Amino acid sequence: MQTVIKQTLLASALAAASVAVQADVNVVSWGGAYTASQQKAYADTWEGGKVNFVNYNGGLGEIRTQVESGTVTWDVVDVLPSEARVGCDEGLFEELDRSIFAPAPDGTPMDDDLMVPLPNDCVVPQIWWSYVPFYEEGTFSGDQPTTIADFFDIEKFPGKRGIHTWPNALIEMALVADGVAIADVYDVMSTEEGIDRAFATLDKIKDHSVFWSSGSKPLELVKSGEVAMSLAYNGRIGAAVLSEGEKFVTVWDGQVLEEEWLVLVKGAPNREEALDFLVHATATEQQAGQARHINYGPMRVSAFAVIEEGEPWFHNGKNIMEHMPNRPAVMERSVVANPEWWADYGDSVSERYTAWMGQ
Amino acid sequence: MANSEAVATPGVLLTADGTPLKVSLQKSLRRSKLRAMLLVLPPLLFLVFLFVLPIGNMLLRSIDDSLVNQVLPTTFKEFKAWDKTTDPPESLYAAFYTDITRTLEEDKLLVGKAGVRMNYDKPGWRSLIKISARKFKKVEGPPYKEAMIEIDKRWGEKEWWLSLGAMKDERTLGYFLNAVDKKYDFDKNIISVDENRKVYNLLWYRTLLVSFIVTIACLVLAYPVSYLLATLPMRFSNLLMICVLMPFWTSLLVRIVAWMIMLQQQGVVNDTLVGLGILDTENRLAMMYNFNGTVIVMTQILLPFMILPIYSVMKTIPPSFMRAAQNLGATPTLAFLRVYMPQTIPGVGAGCILVFIVAIGYYITPELVGGKDGRLIGNMVAYHMQRTLNWGLAAAMGTILLAAILILYWAYDKIVGVDNMKMG
Amino acid sequence: MALPVYTTLGQRIWHYSYLAFCTFVLFFLVAPLVAVIPLSFTSAPFLNFTPEMLSLDPEGFSTRWYKGLFGICDQDANLSTMCTDRWVVGTQNSFIIAIASTLLATFLGTLAALGLSSENMPFRRGIMALMISPLIVPLIITASGMFFFFAKVNLVASYAGIILAHTMLGIPFVVITVTSTLVGFDKSLTRSGASLGGSPAYCFYKIQMPLIAPGMISGALFAFITSFDEIVIILFIGGPEQHTLPRQMWSGIRQEISPTILAAATILVILSVLLLTTLELLRRRSERIRGITPH
Repeated sequence: MQTVIKQTLLASALAAASVAVQADVNVVSWGGAYTASQQKAYADTWEGGKVNFVNYNGGLGEIRTQVESGTVTWDVVDVLPSEARVGCDEGLFEELDRSIFAPAPDGTPMDDDLMVPLPNDCVVPQIWWSYVPFYEEGTFSGDQPTTIADFFDIEKFPGKRGIHTWPNALIEMALVADGVAIADVYDVMSTEEGIDRAFATLDKIKDHSVFWSSGSKPLELVKSGEVAMSLAYNGRIGAAVLSEGEKFVTVWDGQVLEEEWLVLVKGAPNREEALDFLVHATATEQQAGQARHINYGPMRVSAFAVIEEGEPWFHNGKNIMEHMPNRPAVMERSVVANPEWWADYGDSVSERYTAWMGQ
Repeated sequence: MANSEAVATPGVLLTADGTPLKVSLQKSLRRSKLRAMLLVLPPLLFLVFLFVLPIGNMLLRSIDDSLVNQVLPTTFKEFKAWDKTTDPPESLYAAFYTDITRTLEEDKLLVGKAGVRMNYDKPGWRSLIKISARKFKKVEGPPYKEAMIEIDKRWGEKEWWLSLGAMKDERTLGYFLNAVDKKYDFDKNIISVDENRKVYNLLWYRTLLVSFIVTIACLVLAYPVSYLLATLPMRFSNLLMICVLMPFWTSLLVRIVAWMIMLQQQGVVNDTLVGLGILDTENRLAMMYNFNGTVIVMTQILLPFMILPIYSVMKTIPPSFMRAAQNLGATPTLAFLRVYMPQTIPGVGAGCILVFIVAIGYYITPELVGGKDGRLIGNMVAYHMQRTLNWGLAAAMGTILLAAILILYWAYDKIVGVDNMKMG
Repeated sequence: MALPVYTTLGQRIWHYSYLAFCTFVLFFLVAPLVAVIPLSFTSAPFLNFTPEMLSLDPEGFSTRWYKGLFGICDQDANLSTMCTDRWVVGTQNSFIIAIASTLLATFLGTLAALGLSSENMPFRRGIMALMISPLIVPLIITASGMFFFFAKVNLVASYAGIILAHTMLGIPFVVITVTSTLVGFDKSLTRSGASLGGSPAYCFYKIQMPLIAPGMISGALFAFITSFDEIVIILFIGGPEQHTLPRQMWSGIRQEISPTILAAATILVILSVLLLTTLELLRRRSERIRGITPH
């Protein structure tokens, strides 16, 4: 008991100290296990200074306020694909000199070592994450679900489905399940008929759906048997399997991948250190190192090779490759989310989706 | 009355220092008035500057459409000259080109912002403006029409040009129309939005429905308990009062988490019912992350707001009234209905209005426990404020909501008077 | 509520079902809060009672989540559960903001209540309604309005901004509670004080202040708990530095719900019971001072 108290005091003293001391680089990220993985892989291995991690809720509002008022306190920000584009367009992020970043071990420059085309010069690679269906082992007897079409097939695989309360990824999945080729998804979605078609597919599971809005919910829904299958963020499923020993099975088909980038805020107070941190964090070794702590896929091709060779790679001695959302084996059957499309049509599809949920 | 003037003007009462009493009283009245006003002034100014003005300012956004007019002034002029039945003329293309290139020189960010605003009226404008702005530099016009269609084929489609009609005025009611599933067509006629995009009326209806059900549920639960609290001896009622007030004093988020544990499929309630053999494990009740969850949790959260006013009114009703009625031959039921209940009406009215007002603006609770039915108007205001940045629409919905609440607040003031509000 | 001997069977049934109903309602109010407490000692990372817990197996229980709450990480703590100092930091920030805004709200609210209790105050009713309106206007609207206004005057993402906003939410409570202690106030007390030569300020401190003190304190407690519990405004105008306890709970519920939040909830429930007891004692004291005997 005494040690507990001592530790408590120590921890709160440390907490107070960490608030008071101004760290060398302020890195803004999402918190939780994700930030912890960045801390371990990037910050703890970096010798150029100290890193102060700050949590945020996404969006560009805060960055815009800082840049426009000229009082920038953030250096590096972890952003979603649409923010990566809009922020660069609006001049909120600095365009980076690409030559300073570390090439892959075989000499390939960083920008050619990525799994997607570089959207602009503001961003440097971070990770991939995805929306993906999963179920618990033993839920279905006989045939097991293997395709995204199975997720939408209530007759073949009876039981409720867990889906989220916003339309991102669901529209894409519904179309792929309905037989649209992966490459054509966004062309189809750009037409009114395409959206109708997606909603017609969604109609098949609507009466059997439980809706979630927080990332931890789908795991609870599946674990408790409330739903037979659910969509979830792949990182959550992986964490439960790798760390808690849950028997969840992911259906690696028709997943929707989202990019995650790091950017440097224009006018960052600790620009030099921040650049040094970015160079360090984007190097192959660190990118691979992050996967020791979380099953989000590095964006650099060379980091993948490192992980594959180093298996079992996860920090507790388990294989991580089979939990990576962007491993080559599943990329062929994955939709890479198109942020431009969502920036244009996101609001109007959301309205329709909300109406659909409420009917 | 030592002063000699007192004798000089008989009939007028004077104070010790010789001023007429009337004057002196007026002076003291003025002074006390002044003192009261000086006391009230700092909090009043605080409230006006940090509360009234910001809200007023936000509400003005609901009719403001100046941004897009600032970017495209000549375009809208040309738009008015165009007859809308023929294809858009070259002069319209030229005006658009000049407006955009001029704004790009003045303030690059404005073009992007205008594109985002135009996207609310017709999805796709954002990327169209963005692509065009990037490529306009290379255009060598005139003529601009062909060059622009070359950049993006959408410029050749009449619908894009027609959609400008809804944005052409500095002041617009368009956001209010959007808030009730209507919109302007190109000629500013009010039309309905597509059937499958109608969502706001549904949400208004749901918001009112939830508030109404919660109010009724609170009343049904609160009335008997208030009666018990009012009639029990003080020693017991104080103890029970703590039960009533405890949720009131516990963090909202804590209560929400507590209900999640209680009501989820594997929650305490379902487990107990299954354990007692009342339910099969397959037929567990769905009480969370749906409409039921919202209603149950909001009822618990708002119940003290109903119990307290009813209780405080019941407390003032002497028990002898009921006894007298029964003495005069009424049955207990009749005495209760005809004598007791009418006297509790002010408390019931106050409680109902209070609960309804608070319920109608709720958004945290439905967001967390409502699942797919958890979207109420409050959530949509937050969503448009934070996510889509469609602040005009958020402000319009906020204005409607606020107007409804102020009417109810006014009614509350009429019924009980705000200065009679009590806490705990 | 013992029944008289002459009640009929029907009346008895009616009476007992009435009592049962009331018990149900009180249960409905309190049970969820009580259920949190045992569950916060679970050893599993899910929010339901495990079979081990129900069979009172010690294996099913642990203080793991309390440790997490205080930022004490076990060596083998896995990354899927939160082990962070954010709870401690959030609690500190919440206290700073709540205390500052409570002091300000109590000061301003008491001024307003004193002024408004004077019968000579012009537009009394209207100003009273305005003072209470922050309680009535939905937080989402208040927060939106402040978001734009604070952005203009550079108060977004600052402690000052949050404290001012919370002060505004606290004022109505202080106005209401202080006004209600002034209702029974006998004006001749201050008058006799003044006639005995006391300056108005002296009279206020010596006569009025002790009498309205319980009202001020209970108003302050309301203001405190309102600020301590506030989530909407902080989400709108708080920056990452203004990381408060409700914010930590909010992200906990939204992103990675773990029993850590139950541990936090347990502590908050106990805190609210303590506050409530204080308030009840204050109320009794106030009634005793003013000579109103509880019946």
